[in-house]
Amino acid sequence: MSAVTATIAEDKMDARTKPATPNEGARLGFRLTLPAQILVLFISAFPLLMQLYISVTDWSPLSGVGWWNAWEMWNSFANYTDLAADTRFWSALQRTAIVMLVCVPAEFLLGLALATLFADDFPGKRIFYSILLMPMMVVPAVAGYMFFMLFQSGGPVNDILSRIVGTPVTIAWLSDPNLALIAVMIADIWQWTPLMFLILLAGLVGVPEDQMKAATLLGANAWQRFTTIVLPKMKTIIIIALAIRVIENFKIFDTLYIMTGGGPGVATETISVYIYKVTTQDLIWGYVAAIALAILIVLSIVAVYAMKRMAKSRELPA
Amino acid sequence: MSAIHLQNLVKKFGDFTALKTMDLEIADGEFMALLGPSGCGKSTTMNMIAGMEEPTSGKILFGERDMAGMPMGRRGVGFVFQNYAIFTHMTVRQNLAYGPKMRGAAKAEIDRRVGAIAEMLQLSPLLDRKADRLSVNILQRVAIGRSAIMEPAIFLLDEPLSNVDAAFRAVMRTELKQLQRQFRQTMVYVTHDQLEAMTMADRIAVMDHGVLQQVGTPLEVYNNPVNVFVARFIGAPGMNLLKGKPAESDRGLVVDLGPLGVTPPLPDELASAVRAARGDVLYGFRPEQVALTERGLSMPVSFVERIGARTIVHLGQGESAVKAVFENDIGLSVGQTAVVAPPASSVRVFDAATGLAVKAG
Repeated sequence: MSAVTATIAEDKMDARTKPATPNEGARLGFRLTLPAQILVLFISAFPLLMQLYISVTDWSPLSGVGWWNAWEMWNSFANYTDLAADTRFWSALQRTAIVMLVCVPAEFLLGLALATLFADDFPGKRIFYSILLMPMMVVPAVAGYMFFMLFQSGGPVNDILSRIVGTPVTIAWLSDPNLALIAVMIADIWQWTPLMFLILLAGLVGVPEDQMKAATLLGANAWQRFTTIVLPKMKTIIIIALAIRVIENFKIFDTLYIMTGGGPGVATETISVYIYKVTTQDLIWGYVAAIALAILIVLSIVAVYAMKRMAKSRELPA
Repeated sequence: MSAIHLQNLVKKFGDFTALKTMDLEIADGEFMALLGPSGCGKSTTMNMIAGMEEPTSGKILFGERDMAGMPMGRRGVGFVFQNYAIFTHMTVRQNLAYGPKMRGAAKAEIDRRVGAIAEMLQLSPLLDRKADRLSVNILQRVAIGRSAIMEPAIFLLDEPLSNVDAAFRAVMRTELKQLQRQFRQTMVYVTHDQLEAMTMADRIAVMDHGVLQQVGTPLEVYNNPVNVFVARFIGAPGMNLLKGKPAESDRGLVVDLGPLGVTPPLPDELASAVRAARGDVLYGFRPEQVALTERGLSMPVSFVERIGARTIVHLGQGESAVKAVFENDIGLSVGQTAVVAPPASSVRVFDAATGLAVKAG
C-alpha cells in the first residue's frame, strides 16, 4: 500500500517539476530570466535611446540645459544631413577601412602561420609561446608610447635600417602622412597578432588527429591536408576570430592616438579619433551622437553577418 | 597484394619498451588478427606497419620492399581507425573520393571508382549524405570504402568494432569477413576481443607485454596454447590451470594436486614429456571439456552461472578453483560436491617454473 502511494506521489512530483509542454517550459524560463533581462535591457537600451534622442538635437554640455531637456534644441535631423556631407567623417571612415583591410588579414595570416608552427612540438616552444603572448598583455597606451619612440627619426627602427642599408636612414615615420599610417598599422599588427594566434591555435589543436592521419594515409600532402581538413574544420573559429578583430580594429584608438594623435594633419585620423576630437574639442555632442549611431549600425551589420555565418557552419558541424 | 614480414621489430618510447623483438610473417591475402590485452603492443605494431611510427630497430618488409623511411602516404596501406576517422565535414561521396582526388585522378575516373565502390558496399543511395549523421555500420563501410578505393595491397583495421554494441558486433563480424573475401587483400586486424579474432582471422598472433606469445590458426591457439598466458587469455572462461607435482602410480604418470587428490593418468606421450621436463607443473584443461565422472577431482560447487543454454559451474576456491562449462543445466547447485575430470586427450601440461607448455612427443 505504502509503495503504491509513494509511486503516486512521485508522479505528482514529476508533473510539478517537469514542464508539461515545451511551451510551458519556455514561459517558465522567461519568468526566471526576467530580472536579468530587464537589467540588460536597461544597460544597453537606455544609453542607446539617450543617444538617439540627443542625436536629433544641437545639445552640448555647454548648452546650459540638462540632456533631458535637449528637445528644446531639436534640429530636425540636421546632424544626419551634416554627417552625409562631412568629408572629414567620410575620409576618416575610409582610413579606418584601410587600416582594417590591412591589419586584420595580416594578423590572421601571421596568427595562422604561427598557430600551425606551434601545433607541432619544437625545442623551446614554451619560451617562444610566452614571448609571443607578451604584446597582448602590454597596455595599449604603453604600446603606443613604445612605438612612438621606436619610430622617431633618430629612433631604433631607423637605426636598424641604417645598419642594414649601410648609410644613415632618417625616415620621418610619424610626420610623413603615408608612413604614419603604416607605422600605426605595424603597431596594431604587433599587438593583436597574438590574440589571433591564440584563438587559431585553439581551433587548430581541436582538429581531430586521426582524421589528419587518415588524410595522410590516403596520400594527401601537408598543403592538401591543410586546405581539405584543417581549414573546413576551423571555419567557425576563423569566423569568430575575424569578427572579433574586425570589430575591435574598427575602434582602433589608444595606440594610434598616442603615436600620432591622428596626425600629421588628419593623416591617421580614424573614426574613433575623429569622434574623440569632436567630443572633446568641438563639444557638439548632438553631432557626436549621430556619428556614433551610424558607426554602431555598421558594426552591428558586421556582427549579425558573422553570427549568421557561424550559425550556418554550426549547422554543418566540423 | 602483398605479404608482410616483420623482422626483429623493436619499439621503445623513451624508457618504455612497447614492443620487444617481434618476428611475424603475414602471408599474401591472409587475415591476421593481432590479439592481446590493452598495452600489449598490438596497436604499436600496427602503427609501425602503417608508417605512423618508425620502429626503434628491426625491419618491415612488404613483399620484398623495405619500408624503412617510407612515408605513410606512399606505403599503399588502407587503414580503418577505431573510430573510423571519417571526414565529418564532407559527404559520403567526398569521403570516398578523397584518396583519388588527392592523387590527382581525373574527375571522370574518380566518379567511376566512387560509383563502383559505393555499389559494392551498398552506399550508393547515401552518397550525398553528410558524413556526420551516419549510423555506425555505415560509417564503418565508408571507412573501408575510402581505403579500399585506393586498392591497397594491405588493409589494417584498428579495433573497428570496439565502439559497437554486442548485437551489432555479430552482424559486423560477418560483414567484415565477407568484405575481406571480396577484396582478397592482406588484412591485419587489431583487437582485444578474442571472439572477433577467432571468428574472422585465418591466423591469430597473441601478444602480451610487448612480446609475441603465439601465432597460429584460431583452433591451434585454442587447443594448443604455447604458454600459460595464452591458455588463460584464449577461451571464455580461460583454461583451468591447477598446480601440482608429477607422480608415478600403477596406472601411469599422474599429477598430484595436493588436497584435490591425484588426476587421472596422463596419456603416454605427454607423460614421457612431463617425466623429461621434471619439476612442478600446471595441469590444464578447458572448462568446455570438463565432464562429470565417477572417478576424478571431487570438488564443492561454489557458484553457478546460467547463461542461457550454457551453464558455468565454479568449483572449489582460490588456487584450486576450476570452472566447468556445460551445454545444459545439469542440476548442480551450490554446496553440492561434483566429481569432474577432463578427457585425457584434452589435458595440457605447463611447466610451473617457466609457464611454457610441455609438448607431447
